[in-house]
Amino acid sequence: MVQYGSRLDDAFGALSDPTRRGILERLGRGDASVTELADRFGMTLTGMKKHVAILEEAGLVTTEKIGRVRQCRLGPRRLDDEAMWITQYRRMLEARLDRLGEFLARTKGRER
Amino acid sequence: MSKSKVTKQGDREIRVERVFDAPRERVWSAMTESKLIAQWWGRGHKLVVESNDVKPGGKWRFVEHAPEGVFGFEGRFREVKAPERLVLTFGWDGMPGHEIVNTMALEDLGNGRTRLVAMMVFESRKDRDGMLESGMETGMEESYAALDRLLAA
Repeated sequence: MVQYGSRLDDAFGALSDPTRRGILERLGRGDASVTELADRFGMTLTGMKKHVAILEEAGLVTTEKIGRVRQCRLGPRRLDDEAMWITQYRRMLEARLDRLGEFLARTKGRER
Repeated sequence: MSKSKVTKQGDREIRVERVFDAPRERVWSAMTESKLIAQWWGRGHKLVVESNDVKPGGKWRFVEHAPEGVFGFEGRFREVKAPERLVLTFGWDGMPGHEIVNTMALEDLGNGRTRLVAMMVFESRKDRDGMLESGMETGMEESYAALDRLLAA
């Protein structure tokens, strides 16, 4: 399939996965180690590390290594930051309208 | 194709304007017919239109299959007035409990051109519940009815 380079913002990508949304919900109730998260979601440590890395990159989670344990907590970017969501939705709306414009141009003069 | 004009109106509102080189009926069809929506709404990604009941109270649900993941969007139509006005709620699976109210007005500019004004107002469930609790709409209608009676007396 052809890609048009309409990459979504990291946060949107990070949140598209139900496990990652579950992780944020869990961290909202208190910090947890990667191992605890892996146990809770019935995943391997490697699998959980990947999810945490994606969330960390999006600024939704921060991690800190304490001894041999990697501790996770909610990051600086909060889900309830409305300004952030407004920006996301605006970008999304604009991208859609670009597509609509292209679609209308492409189908011009072609009545259904 | 003219570039859209974006105005931020306060923290919770966004207005996007765009002129399309297509008659209003075609723009309306592209925005409301499932077969046509599937061809542009997904921003180049595969789009599955799971439901699209274009009438007031009707439900819509579109699922976009992007390389970063699967994005489900849904809401309900609030106002449907072909071919000029569409009001719907817009929610994303990733952000449950938050909704955008999206108002789209189509203006016929003549010469086969159409202006689309899209207005998005951010609503949290708390706001919405609060508004319903306060009975704002009913209250206003009652006031107007009372005013009518007063003026008729």
